[in-house]
Amino acid sequence: MFSLFYGLWKYLFSKTEFHVLILGIDKAGKTTLLEKLKSLYSNLEGLPPDRIVPTVGLNIGRVEVLNTKLVFWDLGGQPGLRSIWEKYYEEAHAVVFVIDAACPSRFEDSKSALEKVLRHEDLQGAPLLILANKQDLSEAVTAEELARYLDLKKLDERVYMFEAVSAFDGTGIKQGAEWLVEVMERSKRTEMLRNRAGVAGP
Amino acid sequence: MGIMFTKLFSSLFGNKEARILVLGLDNAGKTTILYRLQMGEVVSTIPTIGFNVETVQYNNIKFQVWDLGGQTSIRPYWRCYFPNTQAIIYVVDSSDTDRLVIAKEEFHAILEEEELRGAVVLIFANKQDLPGALDAAVVTEALELHKIKNRQWAIFKTSATKGEGLFEGLDWLSNTLKSGSG
Repeated sequence: MFSLFYGLWKYLFSKTEFHVLILGIDKAGKTTLLEKLKSLYSNLEGLPPDRIVPTVGLNIGRVEVLNTKLVFWDLGGQPGLRSIWEKYYEEAHAVVFVIDAACPSRFEDSKSALEKVLRHEDLQGAPLLILANKQDLSEAVTAEELARYLDLKKLDERVYMFEAVSAFDGTGIKQGAEWLVEVMERSKRTEMLRNRAGVAGP
Repeated sequence: MGIMFTKLFSSLFGNKEARILVLGLDNAGKTTILYRLQMGEVVSTIPTIGFNVETVQYNNIKFQVWDLGGQTSIRPYWRCYFPNTQAIIYVVDSSDTDRLVIAKEEFHAILEEEELRGAVVLIFANKQDLPGALDAAVVTEALELHKIKNRQWAIFKTSATKGEGLFEGLDWLSNTLKSGSG
């Protein structure tokens, strides 16, 4: 009986923690984005870009955006490491997909990696933020151009947004993060994850 | 009070210090790794009964590295060393495919320990110089690293005898410990 009330109390008053996956091919700027998020939204400093090395595992960033707790999971993007992405899908509330907008020769690789992510059923209904990163470089294409190039099908079933950002200087990062919080709070997937936790949880 | 001053002092002047445990099954290469890091050379080792401890200065961090014996009978004593640990280096013999399952079980048992909750995890897929050594992706899969969702982890291919991959791992450790997360 107690646990029933406790469960109800927890359901009503505890702050949900949102899990956000940061995906993308290698050299897209995922970890730089994570460190930028840390320095914008927490009192941690965040590593400077020149200290960042390729990720071979998992980096975690815990920040609070608009009074909402977010846990970012930044996974390595090298081809051999992409197989572990899907192991993190089930518990993710949303996905941030990072693309190096200044490197058109790798758009095709990004496109196929992203399409594979979107096809996976464990990510059904997860809001998607696609970042046209590296806008600090003059050769970077705009978010619209990138969207046209990717020409993604089957996107209309989920909430998504393209945003031009620079994880290096911080352009556009806040808009993206705040959009994420808003859509996650009212997404069906959040409801679904919450129900599942309510049923299975202690 | 004394601790407060020590902390203040070290944050103002000192290098950062970190206590690291090197764990793994027997014959994974833990002791060889420890001395390769500390002296830069390969020493001949015998199975460790008990522990070796050395200080390694790297990237402005003073790593106090504890290498604990890995034989079955002495693994229960690992937990005596768990308090105040910032990082674990888990060493796997990548060519010992028969015992990967045991390596996985020991690994996940360590992660369950309350006292190690805040520790970051670095995995060395060691003995890459041996024929038939599994690569990082396969070791990742075998150890089920994806089950780690609330702390940072990284895996590096290493060869302690050739000295490859070890300092890349320490680079990652020092970055991770400095950025204050984990």
